[in-house]
Amino acid sequence: MSDALKGRILVVDDDENAVEILTRMLAREGHTSVAASSGAQALETLRRENVDVILLDVMMPGMDGLEVCRQLREDERLRQIPVILLTAKDDMDTRTRAMELGVSEFLTKPVNRRELFTRIDAQLHARSLSRELSATVEKVLQPPTDPDGE
Amino acid sequence: MEPHIVKGNHPVMEKIFQICDRVAPTDSTVLIQGESGTGKELVARYIHARSRRANNPFIPVNCGAIPADLLESEMFGHEKGAFTGAVSARMGLFQYANGGTIFLDEIGEMTPALQVKLLRVLQEREIRPVGADRTIRVDVRVIAATNRDLSADVKSGRFREDLFYRLQVIPITIPPLRERRSDIPLLVQYFLDKHNSQRPGQPVRISDEAMVHLWEYDWPGNVRELENLVERLVILSEDGMIRVENLPSNIRTFISDKKIPRPTLTDEGIDLNRAVEEFEYRLIDEALRRTKGNKQAAARLLGLKRTTLVAKLRRKASSSDQGCVL
Repeated sequence: MSDALKGRILVVDDDENAVEILTRMLAREGHTSVAASSGAQALETLRRENVDVILLDVMMPGMDGLEVCRQLREDERLRQIPVILLTAKDDMDTRTRAMELGVSEFLTKPVNRRELFTRIDAQLHARSLSRELSATVEKVLQPPTDPDGE
Repeated sequence: MEPHIVKGNHPVMEKIFQICDRVAPTDSTVLIQGESGTGKELVARYIHARSRRANNPFIPVNCGAIPADLLESEMFGHEKGAFTGAVSARMGLFQYANGGTIFLDEIGEMTPALQVKLLRVLQEREIRPVGADRTIRVDVRVIAATNRDLSADVKSGRFREDLFYRLQVIPITIPPLRERRSDIPLLVQYFLDKHNSQRPGQPVRISDEAMVHLWEYDWPGNVRELENLVERLVILSEDGMIRVENLPSNIRTFISDKKIPRPTLTDEGIDLNRAVEEFEYRLIDEALRRTKGNKQAAARLLGLKRTTLVAKLRRKASSSDQGCVL
């Protein structure tokens, strides 16, 4: 795990206990985290802070996890942040909606620890690729200084 | 002709095509990295099709599939009598690609001796056929690709650093499909349309449930594996609808395996007792979840006495939060 990418993870769950367990586990793997106890608070946090991955519970009072995903999709910056849905509700309807909303990963509770970190690592890897590609985009958008284009 | 290419909606793919569109008209060397099956050759063909070289040849060379001692003469050609069996002079692929693009796939498999020669070609824009004492000027754009971590090969000395920097003027890394899962439904639909259009009769459709299974699967063979499967499903479909039952068993069971993954035996070995314990705890959690925490009912589901379950739960609590969470 030592050379795996580390990220800043937003943990969204109305269950304080769940937030605490996840936060502790993330810290043990070298990630930092920020917590939100509702969908509304999650959106507020995301407008204020940069995070790499969102761990999002589906069943929450008020705005549920799927509605949070829908609202994220409408924001050009926020829609780029990968969402890992964690849910005890694993019926086909929830899965289908999650797929349609462009969720990155769907994990059912109880979540297997190894599985969770494999998925987080994959999303952090995609984020770092994305940053590298952005740097290349910047490079190719600059006017060429060499007639060979090299 | 534009090659068929599926762009995908994922932000990473948008960036990749932004780069391709921008570098296509230049002659810059491009290095495409990505796991097997991610579509490296498609990206290379896309760049070629949008370049001023589009009407000239696109020559793909799989450097890993040609024996090392033949690759040099394949690439640069040879003179008559250059080596045993060279009964006549022969043109190399660089000459066939003249005015166009050469795509050097699996560049990481190239021997150090050939790496030096390729570097010289990139610098001088001329090739020397095997056994020749003259050089030939060529006008070829080079696009290279690899599924290896080339920067790691540079560190370990397997790949020349100067060639690496010469190749990766424009680096493009394509993520594996599992890291851009949101593109899977789009790709499934694209390949369904493509293969439906190649056969007569009613188009084959896919059920939501089957689509969810494809979405959650990890696709180790990436886009190529996905396309092969969709093609097979379309051909084998009897009633025009792809359902979960029609999917291969490894994909059908993937969702449940994700909840309770099969333990994998690594080269370092595993701790069997711990693996068994982890598996047991996971089933216990699942039983408690289904019975909403009723231990009596959970024990019944597991075929255990209540007291045995309670004892196991006590041991589980003392081993902290290993294995399952929440």
